[in-house]
Amino acid sequence: MTTSSVKEAEAGKAVPFVPGQPDMWFFALFETLVFTAYFVVYMFARMQHHEAFLQSQAKLSLSIGTFNTLVLLVSSWSMARCVKEARVGAYRSALTNAFLTASFGVVFLGSKIYEWVREIRLGYGFASDEFFSYYFFLTGIHALHLLIGFVVLGVVVHQLRSPERRSQNLVETGAVYWHTVDFLWVLVFSLLYVVR
Amino acid sequence: MNTLVKKRLLIAWLALSLMTLGYLAMDHSADRAGALRPSVAVTIGAVLIAAAKMRIIFREFMEVRHAPAWLGRLTDLCVLLLVASLLGSYFIGRAAG
Repeated sequence: MTTSSVKEAEAGKAVPFVPGQPDMWFFALFETLVFTAYFVVYMFARMQHHEAFLQSQAKLSLSIGTFNTLVLLVSSWSMARCVKEARVGAYRSALTNAFLTASFGVVFLGSKIYEWVREIRLGYGFASDEFFSYYFFLTGIHALHLLIGFVVLGVVVHQLRSPERRSQNLVETGAVYWHTVDFLWVLVFSLLYVVR
Repeated sequence: MNTLVKKRLLIAWLALSLMTLGYLAMDHSADRAGALRPSVAVTIGAVLIAAAKMRIIFREFMEVRHAPAWLGRLTDLCVLLLVASLLGSYFIGRAAG
């Protein structure tokens, strides 16, 4: 993929390209399948103990969950802007957007930790009941993906900082990973906080 | 980055945020005196909105709309598989429960 082919594709001309490395796309789709398996087990278990799950779900704060989702969506937006800016050679702006992405990621993680502490202080831990076991497992494994995302963002920043290292392909690859973390949260949020 | 590209990303983000806020309205509609109540409509709505958001992230933020058709079809298949799995396990679990 060349920068000119990307520009032509964005201008509406038919020059399709795969953003980033295909390996990362394989990983993203594989992770989606793995999470889908977790979700299927959760949904089935939920319907076996529907009332108990609803009572425990009521202990979660929908406001905090919504805030977290909005924060991660802003981070994805700035990551998408980072890719576009790097593509047109606006590396200073791309770096700013990469730092913004990381900052929103930190806000998300801080808010998640605050929510975990809040639930534990209210007496709902990993072993309290089946709902909270799923809650801590799904949000915990997502947080682990987010932590890996910070390493990926570090690689993106490292790439963007020096003209000798700059690789658009690696920036796009990092973005594919970050957006995967984002849409996985979108799914976790709707299944833990909203479904009835 | 040209203005059109910036505007398109902004619109995608706004749509995703509004859909997220839509959950709050859905949630209140299913509440009764602060207690959560079972609701098939809210569950189907939540799953479909999540799938729509996932597709927007694929197409707009992950640039699948500029990608070869096979990647577009693969990501759409992924979204469809997810919806079928979630709703399938919900209804099978409901019938078995």
